[in-house]
Amino acid sequence: MNEQIIWIVLKRLRTPFLIIIATFSISILGLVLIPGLDDSGNVYHMTFFDAFYFVSYMASTIGFGEAPYTFNYEQRIWVSFAIYFTVIGWFYGIGATVSLMQDESLKKAIHRNTFRRHVKRLRTPFYIILGYNSITKSIIDKINGDDYRVVVLEKNEDKIDELMLENFYPNVPAFMGDATKQQMLKIAGIHHKNCAGVISLFENDMINSQIATICKILNKKIDVIVKATSPQQVKHFKNMDLEHIKNPFDIISKRIFYGITAPHIWLLEMWVYGHILKLRKRDRFPKGRYIVYGYGRMGHAIIEGLEKANIEYITKDLDTQEYLKEKNTTIFGDDEDIQSLIDLGVQESDCIIAATKDDLLNLTILNSAKQLNPNIFTIARENSLDDLNIFKAAKVNKIYVVEKLLADVTYNYIARPLADLFIIEARKKDEEWAKVIVNLLNNITGMNPMYFETKIDEEHAHALSLKLHDNQAVSLANLRRSRANREKILNLVYLLLKRGEQVYLMPDSNMQLQMGDELLIVSDEENYDDFDYIVNNIYELEYVLGYSHETN
Amino acid sequence: MNLHKIISGSFFILAMTINFGFFYGDPTVLVEHSAFELFAAIIVNLVATVLKLGDRTQLGAVLLATSIVADIQLIASATVWAFAKYVMSDFGIEAVVAIVSLSGGALLANVVSVILFIGDTLKSKR
Repeated sequence: MNEQIIWIVLKRLRTPFLIIIATFSISILGLVLIPGLDDSGNVYHMTFFDAFYFVSYMASTIGFGEAPYTFNYEQRIWVSFAIYFTVIGWFYGIGATVSLMQDESLKKAIHRNTFRRHVKRLRTPFYIILGYNSITKSIIDKINGDDYRVVVLEKNEDKIDELMLENFYPNVPAFMGDATKQQMLKIAGIHHKNCAGVISLFENDMINSQIATICKILNKKIDVIVKATSPQQVKHFKNMDLEHIKNPFDIISKRIFYGITAPHIWLLEMWVYGHILKLRKRDRFPKGRYIVYGYGRMGHAIIEGLEKANIEYITKDLDTQEYLKEKNTTIFGDDEDIQSLIDLGVQESDCIIAATKDDLLNLTILNSAKQLNPNIFTIARENSLDDLNIFKAAKVNKIYVVEKLLADVTYNYIARPLADLFIIEARKKDEEWAKVIVNLLNNITGMNPMYFETKIDEEHAHALSLKLHDNQAVSLANLRRSRANREKILNLVYLLLKRGEQVYLMPDSNMQLQMGDELLIVSDEENYDDFDYIVNNIYELEYVLGYSHETN
Repeated sequence: MNLHKIISGSFFILAMTINFGFFYGDPTVLVEHSAFELFAAIIVNLVATVLKLGDRTQLGAVLLATSIVADIQLIASATVWAFAKYVMSDFGIEAVVAIVSLSGGALLANVVSVILFIGDTLKSKR
């Protein structure tokens, strides 16, 4: 593991060592050969030991004095020559060692080794995140913890420094390297048995596709979570057998579609992402005429949704770069622009979507539209998180932050797979069904319930798994009883049960539990704590099962 | 064959020959073994060791190992000499034999190095 560093160091130290050996041996030999006089005036020769001892402290400039007897002039002439000779050799050796410490390639090798060691030591599943930016930072913030760890590869050294300054806990190993290089992915632990997946959300689709290909070749078992912004790209990824393709524009389009046609399905999805479970008036998408300003990747995706929802719309393309060149500003709203809005029929429309690449342009388009038609519903695309406050202050009805969307969706997929599954299943249902569910949840668990994911296994439900191993039948309804008083019922709803590949939406309460079942439970913290206690504690479980009353 | 190989090769063989010069003679009589020869053997051995530092080939690693063994033996021999002379302050037969036989061990390590070196040379010629 440390091989490489040792070899680099040893090879570099070759010359300093040789010089020190040469200077020492010449000085020692000279001292031994030159005859000296002892205290009583007899001729003597220094032994090798005397000479070695003297040269050792002379060369290191310690200088204990002349030993074993005071030197005569022949000896002193030789010593004065040897002083410069050995000290220079000695200093050269020290200098070479110090410069070696500062050597870039050595530093890199040491850093690489530390990184590799950190990755190797990871005992929990981890994701390799490619590129460090505001999206991946918020993903790290959310998933880095006890269940999952992350490893970051980033091309830019400044970004790595930025990451180091964040002081993530637990520590996030990061290394500077090109994510499209196989070698780098290997160092980042793509072959590690705990590697759960690779997250590649680069702006450039080409890079994402390159990375996806490499990852699939290197390790077939891991998840590759990849961003794609065009339908062609999505198709390409699907052909590669990638399951988790995140297209932010497609997500926005779907949300608008459900917002218009099935607001309660929309609400359920938004609730999973942290919205309250209540449809406020300002959340409702109008059903009239839509203007889509900006006809790029997002515009195309939105129109697909609008067409499916059978909504009348008009589009207007706007090239942000050309606009900037022509008008020398990204503030929309001169006479020509206002006229174009009026031509698009802003006064007769119910909703305007600003979907250009430029945040400021989007904001000013909506402002101008609002001036012309105060009742218009406004939807903005926002590209980077930095401007969020301006948008909020501008009272835009719906803001789609592309970066945040990607981060949230990725997080949900990784850390809350059942909630993710729930959204997919709910979308297959209709508005009536969703309405019933929302009402049910509101009645039992309130307006802003939380949701929990758990698995029936020894780790998460110890007592229950003991019972199940004894072939005891336990139904979902059995577990819904309060441990304080089993006649009372806990305020929780089983939203989804996953058994192998089978998914049961709103499972029947008489359903018998099996080992390995995964449950999505809606509740509040208190009630869920009770549930958690019951499935883990054998006494509580026997109580709620009514054990003492039963004959078996 | 390059210059580095010539230099390191000559140092390996020189280490063996000088060491043999020191070792040769009656192991119980110290005057048959010159201190200068021991000094030269130590220096040449150290240089041979340093020349093999950082050599990542298989042969380089083995040569480094054998020359480190020779260094240890020779330095031990010199240490025994200094100890016997200054601390015990008289040369018993035992001390003399120890000095000579330690260098004999080093000679064995030197011989191994040289054999490996020759073997590698022969192999590369084929």
